[in-house]
Amino acid sequence: MPDRLDDIPARQLPVSWAVSAHARLLLTLALTGLALAVLTRRPEFAGVAAPPLLLLATRRRDRPAQVSLRLGATAGPVTEGEVVALSAQIEGHRGYDIEFEIVPAAQVAAGPAVTAPPSYDSAQIRLWYQPQRWGFRPAGTLVLTLRDAARLSEGTLDVELPRLECLPRPARMTAPIVLSRLPSRLGEHSARAVGEGAEFAGVRAYVPGDRQRRINWPATTRHGTIYLSTFAAERTQNVVIIADTTTDIGDPGQSTTDLVLRGAAGAITAYVASRDRVGLINFGAGISWIPPGHGRRHAARLMTVLLRDTRSAERSDAVMRLPRAALPPGALILVFSPMIGRRIIEAVRDLRERGFTVLVIDVLASPPELGKGTVTSLAIRVWQLEQQAMRFSLEQLGVPVVRWDGTTSLDDPLAPYTRRAMVVR
Amino acid sequence: MAAPAAQTIRPATWPASVVTAALAMAVIAWSALPLHTGGAGTRITLIFTIAVTVLSIGRLAVVAVPRLADRELSGFGERVAETLLDFLRMAQWAEGVVVGALVLEALHPSPPWHTAVLGIALLAYLLAVNLAETRARPRVLRAQLPVLAAGCGLLALAVGAAYLPALPSGASSALILTVAIIATAVIAAMSVPGTWRGGR
Repeated sequence: MPDRLDDIPARQLPVSWAVSAHARLLLTLALTGLALAVLTRRPEFAGVAAPPLLLLATRRRDRPAQVSLRLGATAGPVTEGEVVALSAQIEGHRGYDIEFEIVPAAQVAAGPAVTAPPSYDSAQIRLWYQPQRWGFRPAGTLVLTLRDAARLSEGTLDVELPRLECLPRPARMTAPIVLSRLPSRLGEHSARAVGEGAEFAGVRAYVPGDRQRRINWPATTRHGTIYLSTFAAERTQNVVIIADTTTDIGDPGQSTTDLVLRGAAGAITAYVASRDRVGLINFGAGISWIPPGHGRRHAARLMTVLLRDTRSAERSDAVMRLPRAALPPGALILVFSPMIGRRIIEAVRDLRERGFTVLVIDVLASPPELGKGTVTSLAIRVWQLEQQAMRFSLEQLGVPVVRWDGTTSLDDPLAPYTRRAMVVR
Repeated sequence: MAAPAAQTIRPATWPASVVTAALAMAVIAWSALPLHTGGAGTRITLIFTIAVTVLSIGRLAVVAVPRLADRELSGFGERVAETLLDFLRMAQWAEGVVVGALVLEALHPSPPWHTAVLGIALLAYLLAVNLAETRARPRVLRAQLPVLAAGCGLLALAVGAAYLPALPSGASSALILTVAIIATAVIAAMSVPGTWRGGR
């Protein structure tokens, strides 16, 4: 958002004026009083009509046909639950009282306006709104109402707020999973191979050409010959996150798609922070992907792909195998999925058969609510058995399945795999 | 001098709504009681006035209730509630309260000062309705105070004029008439926009 509203170009916007409800009420009181005064021949009823008629006589004629508005809103993506500030400056209202209000769109909450003391022809205000759920969505409308001092005329002005690009709130993940075998790219994870890292790996005998600063003096003294310290190589790893959004079960805000996107966003954030190369496959009605990369710009692209509607992308049922370009050899693959669709299960099996290390985070926290009854409970039981059989078959293939309900951090379900390097088989 | 602090607009509406409801009930009681002195049609007018008062209070109570975003996808109960709310929002029921109260007053043989008090109470009621509906603070009415004072002066003159036929004819009657004409001119001058500083 620009620091000063003066730096934003002003827009001239027309104001639509109308007689206020208050003026109509005053007119009703005046006309009724006058009519009763004539009908009943009681002059005090004419007196009742006097105050409203005087108030109506003060109606101003110099109404501004248009006003100038500067609107400063936060540019770029925001995270769900993040408060978005909005500053507005209006000029040319000729001393009319101004009321600002945000009429929020669906899944957006708006707060009260805070106005600076206005002058005769300029007013400034600060409002905020808060997107409640991820997605590309309209934020709402800023409604300005102009009223004269006697509140007899009302001018209204509607301004569409900039559309929101609301990212899912990332799940907390502090300890990323690291594979035991890492590709030979410089990174921040200590590998088994000896290299130029900072973590001590062991000692070895001196060979001509070695640097003297690496001499390990305790070992040298003990053995009587020169020994050197060796260090672990620091490597990066390729991580591919698969977000399965083919099915959406549960209440909005806590549905499986919400958890998939929040979990995937949390994993992306954690791995990008640890300088790993992160890729993404958005597995929805179609498939869209982005190959692994690193850096903040890449993370922003990943978030955009995560939010993108995949209906226009290549149909996932037409894709027999997940794209090779998105899956570098030796990559760690994290699958966030409710594990309901057959296609995602087949895709996970295929990945494992291709030699990838795959870990599934199951986000289906509770069985579907179908009501009560013998047949329904039997159907749920059969479904649960199918789910157990599917998980068992995946674990037999070497694909661990962990459950995550979205309320805790991702560290809890992933703890068994973050304590030591995950062995690649 | 330090600049005044920024302020948060659109406060809670319930105090204004409570005051409005109290004023409406006071207006009805003032204009309708005692019932037995009323002319023909008093009871039906009273029922009409009470009904529109209830509706006007209901309308104020639902000012802050947002409209249903997607009616087609809502449940039966929500749609019924929204229909009721639409009915409340449909008309400005306070107009009915004003007409009903004045008709009730006309049906009663009340003294002129009684009608003047009712007129001031009705004006206060309309201002309270406006404050409640627009969720504004009472200080927005400060600019109208001179005009309201002038209007009340005219109302007092009208009440005085109502008592004139009871006065004996002669010099005293002519004096009262002269004073009334001068007061009317002063009040009319006061009510012209711009006469009072800050009356914009």
